[in-house]
Amino acid sequence: MGFIKIFTKAKCPKCPAVKEIGKELKKQGVSVLTYDLDTIDGLAEASFYSIRSTPSIVIEDDEEREVISWRGVVPTLQEVKQHLLPLTPSLSPSLGRGEG
Amino acid sequence: MASVIEMKGNQQELFKHEVETTDMALFVRTSDEAMLGWDRQRIVDALMRETYVDFDTAKEIAREVEELIATSKIKMITAPLIRELVDTKLVERGLEQARKMHTRLGMPLYDVDQLILHPNKENANVPHGPEATNLTLAERIKKEYALLTVFSQEISDAHMRGDIHLHDLGFIDRPYCSGQSLEYIKRFGLSLPNSIAMAKPAKHPEVLLAHMVKFAAALQSHFAGAIGWDSINLFFAPYLVGMSNREMEQLAQMMIFEFSQQAVARGGQAIFTDLNLYWEIPKHFENVPAIGPGGEFTGKTYSDYMEESQRFAKALFDVYQEGDGSGRPFFFPKPLVHITEKFFQTHGHTGFLDHICDVASEKGNTYFVFDRGETAKISECCRLSFKLDQTDLEDAKHPWKMRYCALQNVTLNLPRIAYLAKGDDAKLFSKIAEFIEMAVKAHLEKKLFIEKLLSLGEKGPLALLAMQRDESPYLRMGRASFLVGMVGLNELVQIHTGREMHQSKQAFKFGLKVIAHMKLLVDKFSQRYGMRFVLEQTPAESTAYRFAKLDLKFHSPRSGHIVKGDISKGEVYYTNSTYLNNSAVLNPIERVRQEGLFHPLIEAGALTHIWLGEARPSRSSLANFVIKTFQLTQNDQIAFSPEFTACNRCHRTSRGLRSSCTYCGAEDVEGITRITGYFTKLSSWNKGKLGELRDRYRNQAFFSEKDERMAVDA
Repeated sequence: MGFIKIFTKAKCPKCPAVKEIGKELKKQGVSVLTYDLDTIDGLAEASFYSIRSTPSIVIEDDEEREVISWRGVVPTLQEVKQHLLPLTPSLSPSLGRGEG
Repeated sequence: MASVIEMKGNQQELFKHEVETTDMALFVRTSDEAMLGWDRQRIVDALMRETYVDFDTAKEIAREVEELIATSKIKMITAPLIRELVDTKLVERGLEQARKMHTRLGMPLYDVDQLILHPNKENANVPHGPEATNLTLAERIKKEYALLTVFSQEISDAHMRGDIHLHDLGFIDRPYCSGQSLEYIKRFGLSLPNSIAMAKPAKHPEVLLAHMVKFAAALQSHFAGAIGWDSINLFFAPYLVGMSNREMEQLAQMMIFEFSQQAVARGGQAIFTDLNLYWEIPKHFENVPAIGPGGEFTGKTYSDYMEESQRFAKALFDVYQEGDGSGRPFFFPKPLVHITEKFFQTHGHTGFLDHICDVASEKGNTYFVFDRGETAKISECCRLSFKLDQTDLEDAKHPWKMRYCALQNVTLNLPRIAYLAKGDDAKLFSKIAEFIEMAVKAHLEKKLFIEKLLSLGEKGPLALLAMQRDESPYLRMGRASFLVGMVGLNELVQIHTGREMHQSKQAFKFGLKVIAHMKLLVDKFSQRYGMRFVLEQTPAESTAYRFAKLDLKFHSPRSGHIVKGDISKGEVYYTNSTYLNNSAVLNPIERVRQEGLFHPLIEAGALTHIWLGEARPSRSSLANFVIKTFQLTQNDQIAFSPEFTACNRCHRTSRGLRSSCTYCGAEDVEGITRITGYFTKLSSWNKGKLGELRDRYRNQAFFSEKDERMAVDA
């Protein structure tokens, strides 16, 4: 099962959209880790991935290798799920709003 | 200058009883070479002038000391001894504060003797000689002064214990290091406070160079550390129009020889000089009106001087390539080439990159500074850099305003924090915060002191820094940085997690957490005090050694397993700042990439060393490496460091560190390589650095020695 890591910051205008994506994916059973760059853990993790701007998303496989990342941009939920599917077979390919 | 009090032999009988001062035939030889009679009133005067002791107590003490001297059998008493006797009286009365204020600073006779005879290894940049000895003696006194009066007891104790290190205490009355703009003297000429003659702005490049050298010497006596010059090839360019290649070459030679010579100014040292060079015209100077001969605007902008600027940069590197008279690399000035996106878009960059990489391989001089994205940096010190923000970019329109400095550096002993935390995460992070708070306090104390000196203006002790030729004093306090450095992150992680940073991902990430914590803290303090607190990778030439020694004293036996180097030889050290273990066998691009992950957190600047040993990589192999570093990592700055052996008999230089000369076989040889951020002879290195040298992993097999694009020349 792959991981998705979401990086946000307090006064970042595009971040709420990405947080929403995270919430949706969590509902669908995806392992979502969120990091706030204003915290120690958040800033450290962001540094590890050379993330300088928010919002950013990184998807990793089981071996903790980066599969894809979006840095400073907001992808669509569909785009994100597309890349997660091969790693998370249990994930439903539909958009998932209102679905179990 | 000791004053001597002599007791006249035949008067000694009188001292068996209470005597009036007028009867005491004691003579005091004073410092202005006169002979005065003993007068205990002088003790009272000194106490009243120097301390807050009240008059009656002062009189009492004076009388007690006089009686002590009178009843003693000493034939010759010195003024320093009288001062010590007064001090004991203050101690007896519990007047600790007064004693501190009344104390004499200095060194024991024995120590002075040793100092004059034997070299001081704390700073490998200080040669041995009368000037250097003067410097060391003065520094000792200023250091004591700093710890007694500039810094509070709490901070001084923290320094003495080795929790923190207050850098350059012997230069307490100066800022740390600086970034300068040549435009200042191009525009205003050379008119320094206290100088005997004033020079109008230069009309010719040789004169401009002369002004620059003199100004640099004057600056060296006002800053503890490096003097960095921004965009130097660009700012010289308007003076180089129409110069032939030969003339250009000669000017380049003159510049490098001027800055590479010892005994130019203080302490017999070379001036620690950084020349920042650009192949392209930096974006922020493109449309700026150029200043040329006579300090006049030429009517053109700096974009119009690209050709001269580039020719000069090339000429400088030609000189570096040759090395000095015996083929050794120049230790100073240090050339820092800025690699930016614009660099790669500027015509001729491939050839220039090859050239500077050739120099890097051949002599090791080149520093590659990476300015990615929209950041522009003015690198100073071995790695101190100032990122230009909006205000600075405004200042760029008037480049003579771009003067920056760091007021002080305070370094944290990270391994110490780990010993104290005993494996508890919460305690570790809380201790880090405590130590940073101490560093901030130290900075506030030093700032206060410097401001006191500056407030005396152009007639005061920091006249040059207070001088005002444009709208601000030369030292722009509002743009000053206050550095918080660190030593031994690797060892902190080792103590706390059981693994070194290169040994596991978890350990490495933990290191990032520590630095992230420090970064967030200094940002908070910056906001609170309206000052720029920034993290820096302390060069730690002797601090890494000092901390290791102190921890062996206070945190054994644990520290015995943690410090690096050879304990039996005393060659112990902690890994510098956020570096990975020097001896870790790592592919250099991996080391550059991993160490680079820390760099964005360390705003004041960072550097990764690539030790070459005796390898002589091809220029294209280094060029490829530089490009990869720029594109694929976050690393701020790299330098390739080969090693050399210089022979004192035949004066030739060979590669690698050897115990005898490859040419003539003589054993009278000197090893040369980079210590922290500059080249110097091994004989001046402290034990800690020698220990580290033994451990350095040399990337000898990694680079190809064959040029991929050009034929190999045997």
